[in-house]
Amino acid sequence: MINHAWLIPVFPALAFPIIIFLTRRVRPLSALVGIAAIGASFVMAVGVLREVLLNGVTMAHPVEYASTWLGIPGLLKIEAGVLIDPLAAVMLLVVTLVALLVEIYSVGYMHGDPGFSTFFGYLSLFSASMLGLVLANNYFMIFFFWELVGLCSYLLIGFYYHKQSAARAGLKAFVTNRVADFGFMLGFFFLFAIFGTFNFRELAAAIPSYQNTGFLALAAALVFIGPIGKSAQFPLHVWLPDAMEGPTPVSALIHAATMVAAGVYLLARAFVLFASLPGIMLLVAYVGGFTALFAATIAITQRDIKRILAYSTISQLGYMVMAMGIGSMTAGMFHLMTHAFFKALLFLGAGSVIHALEEQDIFRMGGLYKDMKVTVSTFVIAALALAGVPPLAGFWSKDEILAGAFDHGFTGLYIIGTLVAFLTAFYMFRLIFVAFFGDRRAGLHAHESPLTMTVPLVILAVLSVVSGFVGAPFVSHGFSSFVYYGEPHHIEPNYGVMLLSTIVALAGIGLAWLLYGRPSDVPARLAERYRSIYKLLVNKYYIDEVYLWLFHRVGLGLAEAFNWHDRHVVDGVFDGVGDVTRLSGHKLRLLQTGNLQTYALVIFTAVVIIALWMAAPVLGGVIQ
Amino acid sequence: MANWHLLTVEILTAALGLGLLALGLLVPHSDRRGIAYVATAGLAGILAVAIGMREASGVVLGGYVIDPFGTYFKILFLVAAMLTAVCSYDYVEKMGLNQAEYYALLILATLGMMILASSGELVSLYTGLELMTITFCILAAYHLGDAKSAEAGIKYLLLGAMSSAIFLYGLSLVYGSSGTTVIREIGQQVATRGASPALLLGTIFILAGFAFKVTAVPFHMWSPDVYEGAPTPVTGFLSVASKAAAFAALVRVFFGALPDLHNFWVQLFIALAVLTIVLGNLVAIPQTNIKRLLAYSSIAQAGYLLLGIVSFSVLGVGAVAYYAMLYVFGNMGAFMAATAFYNNDGSDEIKDYAGLARRSPLVAALMLFSLLSLAGIPPMAGFVGKFYLFMSIISRQYIWLAILGILMSMVSVYYYLLVAKAMYLGNPPEGSKPLQVAPGLQVAMVVSLLILFILGIYPTPLTNYAMNSAVTFFMP
Amino acid sequence: MITLNHYLAVGGLLFCIGLFGALAKRNAIAVLMGIELMLNAVNINLVAFNHFLAPDQVTGQIFAIFVIVVAAAEVAVGLALVLNIYRRRLDSNIDDLDWLKW
Repeated sequence: MINHAWLIPVFPALAFPIIIFLTRRVRPLSALVGIAAIGASFVMAVGVLREVLLNGVTMAHPVEYASTWLGIPGLLKIEAGVLIDPLAAVMLLVVTLVALLVEIYSVGYMHGDPGFSTFFGYLSLFSASMLGLVLANNYFMIFFFWELVGLCSYLLIGFYYHKQSAARAGLKAFVTNRVADFGFMLGFFFLFAIFGTFNFRELAAAIPSYQNTGFLALAAALVFIGPIGKSAQFPLHVWLPDAMEGPTPVSALIHAATMVAAGVYLLARAFVLFASLPGIMLLVAYVGGFTALFAATIAITQRDIKRILAYSTISQLGYMVMAMGIGSMTAGMFHLMTHAFFKALLFLGAGSVIHALEEQDIFRMGGLYKDMKVTVSTFVIAALALAGVPPLAGFWSKDEILAGAFDHGFTGLYIIGTLVAFLTAFYMFRLIFVAFFGDRRAGLHAHESPLTMTVPLVILAVLSVVSGFVGAPFVSHGFSSFVYYGEPHHIEPNYGVMLLSTIVALAGIGLAWLLYGRPSDVPARLAERYRSIYKLLVNKYYIDEVYLWLFHRVGLGLAEAFNWHDRHVVDGVFDGVGDVTRLSGHKLRLLQTGNLQTYALVIFTAVVIIALWMAAPVLGGVIQ
Repeated sequence: MANWHLLTVEILTAALGLGLLALGLLVPHSDRRGIAYVATAGLAGILAVAIGMREASGVVLGGYVIDPFGTYFKILFLVAAMLTAVCSYDYVEKMGLNQAEYYALLILATLGMMILASSGELVSLYTGLELMTITFCILAAYHLGDAKSAEAGIKYLLLGAMSSAIFLYGLSLVYGSSGTTVIREIGQQVATRGASPALLLGTIFILAGFAFKVTAVPFHMWSPDVYEGAPTPVTGFLSVASKAAAFAALVRVFFGALPDLHNFWVQLFIALAVLTIVLGNLVAIPQTNIKRLLAYSSIAQAGYLLLGIVSFSVLGVGAVAYYAMLYVFGNMGAFMAATAFYNNDGSDEIKDYAGLARRSPLVAALMLFSLLSLAGIPPMAGFVGKFYLFMSIISRQYIWLAILGILMSMVSVYYYLLVAKAMYLGNPPEGSKPLQVAPGLQVAMVVSLLILFILGIYPTPLTNYAMNSAVTFFMP
Repeated sequence: MITLNHYLAVGGLLFCIGLFGALAKRNAIAVLMGIELMLNAVNINLVAFNHFLAPDQVTGQIFAIFVIVVAAAEVAVGLALVLNIYRRRLDSNIDDLDWLKW
């Protein structure tokens, strides 16, 4: 099975042209093709994981095979290859599983949408790119798929392209990611310039013994810009909240398994690079920690259900990046996995609500639990998992990160992490109390979603409960002896940390209950009292506004300046030259030059300047 | 006994061009469309011959070099000419002029480029260059009803003639200091006798001449005007093929005759490349006319191509060849879309492209993906091309140059996306109809779109060919 | 004794005069004439180099003939274009050719 792993992205990649060109008009067939393709990938992914477990494929002894994609003998060799180790195997499973469930769910959600077939085509391509990224055995290939993921996200976020905001959001995601990709690209070019290879394993062998850490640190920092953009870390997080303009299943896919996971996955893949540079690791850890806190504070005040979830994603990604930064790849990947399940569930649940109500403002919902029992109960399970209430999945993975921070002596990060856990529990249950409980708002007609939508919810709910146990500290040979960097290690349960995080999670839920569990004016009064802070948070620290301003001022200003320069200075200078020559009595009628002759003059001036520049050394010799 | 069979491609092209002129006199006016098809079919036939001859090599009459490098570029010109011809059907018909002359000129320009790419000797090089330039002047001014077109023609002619005078002066100095016009012999002379001041001055003049043709800043100023004024298909052809031809000849002259002076001229190319990339990309941002935008973007693209020259390596030359080929599809794709739009709406303004995606998904997609390819975004072919170019200079330790290039290609995404934004986000004007695109042009569009993807996803065969053709210049 | 350098000086001067004409004249025809002078300067160079450096070969002279032919073609096209513009605008001033600009 491992030897045929390259087929995993090929199935959905083939589904894309089939759907777009052949089955576009036959909607059920399009859905069937899409689901069958990703289903086949899922089955293969399970097979691969099984073989990895049985055949003793470990992080140190992965399976790799490749053929040359581009080769210029002696100069350049780029492979198209597959690298399968437990890390990739786990990712494959997560991505295919979530993508499969999302596609099944979309059958119900997108029912009746004019772009139904196209949507499945895009979803297939999106999954294919992500799976290709997971399998990549070198930087070049990972970058290739990385960009493809970006392109697909652009298509999917802007899916309702007739909606201005959606199209804008698509563009924003694309542009922000380009900035990040630029850094990433430069970074691995640097690595190539140093080591002459793109291959992960060859680099892993070469990096630890490389001496010039300054240059290496620069390369690592540049590579890190990639995950900052893709995994929506501060300050390039701005695209993710807007990305929910896409259809909700897409948000689920982007937030859980494909797009944002790519950044964290890259950190794990390139871990050897970061691990050899303590300074960069610290940077990674603090960027992650800061993002986690920053996004959690914004989430408290948002009213749009998808926006709250979006900020919670940013915050949780911050956790993962922080885990990588403190040196615990295991914890980061573990959290990525559990988070994929419960975040997908949250988004699909939110989609179910939106599908039923056509409403996204939580304060205009209320009392939904009576009408949407499956949706609400699965949503609550996911929220409990996200909040880190034992024994659900989120508790174990989050706890491993916090324990890691605590054990490695990052006290500051540990405190931040715990604070974020508190905030997370608070804003999630604020959402739940406001939207799902309390009184039913007038004029709302909620109804439970069809089976195609609720079944994936239930499956994900089960996973949100049980998936944490694979990495729970009392399980020997669990996740930590499977996906790791360096030597496999078993984290001893740290009961103090566990207890504290359970307490803060419950405290967060309790506070949410106090403020929002029953009708009260306390939240409004609080908002009134701390008006400036509230406004700051509601407006997301004005980051978007600052970027917009900067973009307009700097970007367009610069362009205008150059344009102006070309229009005025270049012509002006030559008019000036004309003045000077006329003053000196020559009838060089430069002032009357039309454009054509100005151009000619520029050409000749350039020739003369070049000649003088080149002759300067020679002339200097003559003069001496 | 000269080995004339090596000249098959050139002879066929000349015959086709002249034959079309004659045919134009014979065919009745009502049936002129047939000439366009004959021209396209003829070009396709010659293309097949050229592909069959891709491995041929030899020297004809002591100074005309047939080698994989030259043939690679001939294939490129033929492909570009074919796309241009297909693109011109409706456009030329609308102008209502003698179609036979138009296609004959198109083909003779192609012949000029072929000679330019293959000549190993300065006299034929110059003749090829002028054949190309003069036919392009006529083509640029072909739209008799449009004063802008005439202005474009005269500007191209006068500036082109001035630049070729400089170029020629340079050639005379090089001839004077080496006593021969055969490029290979000049190389030997330079290697044994070293460089004289006259030779260096000649080198600078020649460089200026080439810089004019490839639109390197500050020799670029003609190009936006001419591109805007010329008929759109001609602009497309001018921007891809004449640039590629100039690069081919540039490589032949500088790598063939002056490799020993590369420390001298590489510095000049660095300066030109930097100016070209920076200015081209920045000035493209505020443009409102699609042809002007593409003109500046193609100036910027020339800057990236110059990077390959700067690297002075097999990888660099191969990258130039590869990039030039995919640039044909990328840029011609954009121009095909622009032509289709012009044929329907008679406008080149970007703001009129609003809502194009809903009026013609194919044209909008072609424009979008062509622009994305020009911007160098995977999986489009442009990404692989840029990657080679940047790799080639990184391998020569010009890392700052690579950073600048990548940074400016980020900038380019911005203005390319402005067009995309208009096409996909804007609302089509009231009462606008779906675009009518001729079936032939549609086929050409789909083909070039597919090729852009194929070259991006599986570039190896073309890369190998490009790199192998580049090896010629580095053999002892 | 007239040496190669004398010829080259004449050629250089002629080139500069032509250049001046091409840059300074307002009339398109005059600009074309300036360009012709520049090309002829090159011809002087070519023939002189031929005569002094390799008198037994005629490469330079042949080159010069090619240049003359090409120049003639260039002028023919140039005049046709100028005529076209003149007919349209009653004007052959280079300055007025500014419909296409930055």
